Amino acid sequence: MAEMWISMGPQHPMTHGLWTLKVKVDGETVVDTEPDLGYIHRGVEKICEARNFTQITTYCDRLCYASANTWSHAYIYAAEDLLGVEVPERAEYIRLVAVELQRIASHLMWLGAYGPDIGNLTVMVWCLREREMMMDLLQELGGSRMHYNFPRVGGVKRDLPHGFAMRARHKLRLFLDRIQEYEALFDESTIFLIRSQGVGYAKPEEMINHGVSGPNLRAGGVNHDIRTSHPYSVYSELDWAPAVERSSIKGADCYDRYRIRVEEMRQSANLVLQALDKMPGGAETYHEPGDPKILAKAPSRAPEGTSGSHHFEDSRGESMFYLAGGGEGRGKMPYRVSIRSPIFITIPYASKCMIGYKVADIPAIMGSFDPCIGETDR
Amino acid sequence: MNGVSEESQISAAEDLVNEIGTMEGVSAFVDKRTSGTQVRPIVNLTVPPENWRKVAESMFSDHGIDYCSMITGIHWPESSDKQWEVIYHFLRTGVKNPPIVDGVVEPIITDSSQLQGSDVPLEIQISIPLQETRNPKVASIQDIWVGADWNEKETWDLVGIDFEGHQGMRRVLQPHETPKGYHPLQKQHKLRYHNFEEMYDDVQGFKRKPADSEKVK
Repeated sequence: MAEMWISMGPQHPMTHGLWTLKVKVDGETVVDTEPDLGYIHRGVEKICEARNFTQITTYCDRLCYASANTWSHAYIYAAEDLLGVEVPERAEYIRLVAVELQRIASHLMWLGAYGPDIGNLTVMVWCLREREMMMDLLQELGGSRMHYNFPRVGGVKRDLPHGFAMRARHKLRLFLDRIQEYEALFDESTIFLIRSQGVGYAKPEEMINHGVSGPNLRAGGVNHDIRTSHPYSVYSELDWAPAVERSSIKGADCYDRYRIRVEEMRQSANLVLQALDKMPGGAETYHEPGDPKILAKAPSRAPEGTSGSHHFEDSRGESMFYLAGGGEGRGKMPYRVSIRSPIFITIPYASKCMIGYKVADIPAIMGSFDPCIGETDR
Repeated sequence: MNGVSEESQISAAEDLVNEIGTMEGVSAFVDKRTSGTQVRPIVNLTVPPENWRKVAESMFSDHGIDYCSMITGIHWPESSDKQWEVIYHFLRTGVKNPPIVDGVVEPIITDSSQLQGSDVPLEIQISIPLQETRNPKVASIQDIWVGADWNEKETWDLVGIDFEGHQGMRRVLQPHETPKGYHPLQKQHKLRYHNFEEMYDDVQGFKRKPADSEKVK
């Protein structure tokens, strides 16, 4: 049969955003693919060159609408490295709580969107119900529902509000029970198993060479997590180990990538519970905004020739910021901001993964990699 | 306590510096970076562009640096010692292929604090200063680390640094019909066409003119 190119996107349920996947098909079989990005390129890196270090946080929040907190924290760590700030320990625990709650919310958003992708509509409503609990907790911290603007250079905006720890513990315990419901909903759904098992194999050694990271990599049995292999924050104080999936000899399939995210949600919930118990000063005490226990003083200028960088475990993989100091206003602004988006690197690999499968498998494979186009296009 | 310990990372970083630092034209040292309450070591290399390809091959095959994280291009039009700079960030994941038992892939080492010697995860930052003004270019490493492929595409697209030997270079973030030679992260393209003082003297902005109004179509 003659081969031909078809274009999936920019408006297609498979894309989870705005991009085009050009697919070369031979009948129903995918022969070649070519991703085409850049539909919502906003030039964040350029905009940040004319903003001071506090203002940039706001832009980083908006890199990914499903996982705002992880992105602003990734930036803040790089900025603190550039400006040479030491963060109070209590602030680090509060950040850990914020980031891990965000990770749960992000994975729930993914799970909720992945269900309808492959014919399991109920799960969308269930996941968004639990996501709502996480959003409420995050709203208590940051003040808004989506873009929290929560971290500050040197600490956090606000301490945990009164009663937050109690509500968080209650909701997370409820959530840990409800994860079992999702597992039942997915693992006992024949349609889900048929469409996700044995589809979209990704080999671990190939993934490392292609720069794939995060849950997608750990689904292939590779224990590489920035939180333990390049320890930052207070993760090394807590009792945990990264979730690693046992995949088959061919590599990780869509089912493994679903399993790893469910395990990660469990783990994040446990991390938050531990952090609330271990927090210096206790989770019930409250400090006014600006108190040195939660916010260290930070210089506002970075002289020329300095640089700061930080690798960060985002919900989708390894995100990274590189900042060069000495920009406008004698260093008040960065000279160059460079952002590594995990999904920007993963999309070319994910597109190669689907070669040899049927056209109907494309949504299942692409969705399992958790694409987020906001951060991809920057 | 879990995770890789700082001491093992520092000694692994010093080993790497001692080995790579002897290569021609390479200057290497162990730098300290902070992350919140912790301090982490990072291997910092400066490599002249003509030696880059050789260093990259040695890093991949002799030192087990298996993961290319990010490539950054910087335009330094007003700097005295360089016109452009390419900065690479690599990670050594310390991960070997997972063992296979009865057809099932066994997850490898769940405790990364047990890693030793050349398996210890490391961060590597490599800076390549370029003196050339008009056509900055550096050797491509796309065939060694495939993860560098789209990083290089993006660096050329936004900054305009060319990668020699890169297959299939094209615009990735900007539209395909973007004029040749237009790379927005170069410094002659100003984001804000006025400084703070001008903003107050000419609030309506009638007198302002884009600084690059003559240069860009």
